[in-house]
Amino acid sequence: MDAARHPPETSGGGASAEGAEPAAEPEKLNVLVGIDESDGSFYALRWALDHLFTNLATASGAEPPPNQLHSSLITLVNVQPLFQPFIYPAGPSIYIKAETLILQGDPKEKICEAAEQLPADLVVVGSRGLGTIKRALLGSVSNYCAHHIHCPVLIVKPPTKLGHE
Amino acid sequence: MEKSVMVVGIDESEHSFYALHWTLQHFFSPSPEYSPFKLVIVHSKPSAAMAVGIIGPGSADVIPYVESDLKKMASRVLEKAKEICTAKLVHDVKLEVVEGDPRNVLCETVERHHASVLVVGSHGYGAIKRAVLGSVSDYCAHHAHCSVMIVKKPKAKN
Repeated sequence: MDAARHPPETSGGGASAEGAEPAAEPEKLNVLVGIDESDGSFYALRWALDHLFTNLATASGAEPPPNQLHSSLITLVNVQPLFQPFIYPAGPSIYIKAETLILQGDPKEKICEAAEQLPADLVVVGSRGLGTIKRALLGSVSNYCAHHIHCPVLIVKPPTKLGHE
Repeated sequence: MEKSVMVVGIDESEHSFYALHWTLQHFFSPSPEYSPFKLVIVHSKPSAAMAVGIIGPGSADVIPYVESDLKKMASRVLEKAKEICTAKLVHDVKLEVVEGDPRNVLCETVERHHASVLVVGSHGYGAIKRAVLGSVSDYCAHHAHCSVMIVKKPKAKN
């Protein structure tokens, strides 16, 4: 999902810019790009960077704008759906409170920090089941947590096809 | 309701008794009958050949003594585990001793009981020790076919 705002009108009446004097200030463009974790939205971001700002570069002769007010702004918006609705399937006689923390930064470090600060009695993480090599190269949140958190860590694995014969 | 199986792996260390105690406290207390899990405790006993290693000629004579020592140690471990369970009023527990490398023993026990959770303590080795000595909890976290819970004994606060 992405949304790019249309460039602001520089002249009322919408006259074509052909032959007109270039604007005294380089036209700036404020763009909002919605990002989730899909490849599609990162592609949209790349596309926006490649296509939406090149005209500004030529118009201003690739000089940086005189001050911040005249530069374009790209805002990346990532919206987290609330997780609360996932909690209530816990049965009727179970009383638990739920809280959601949305943090910025490196997932493995942030989870460890949050575990220390709450403080948590048990940390539960999923496992993507990466093979040894991928895990070494890409890093693994569950691996990091298992070694750096001081409280017990539960690594929940998705059911495998091997299952129980 | 069919209970799922929780396997707890123990060795002689304080770390694994702590892990057992913590597990009982949070998953089998205060009333063990209502726990959603069936408890299996497994101790992997090194074989005499493994313990003796490569000593040289004459090591074959030592093996019976080493074997009986290992057997005594294993039964002490199980006794202590049983005591911890009884203290927490957990009487329905299966205690097993299996000979072999702890990594394989734990994963194989999980398969045998179709366990849904494996609990291990952690010696808290640093990165280097872990690389050199190997880590049972690491191995199990990656190779066991069920969820793995690593329970650490908290370091003494300064």
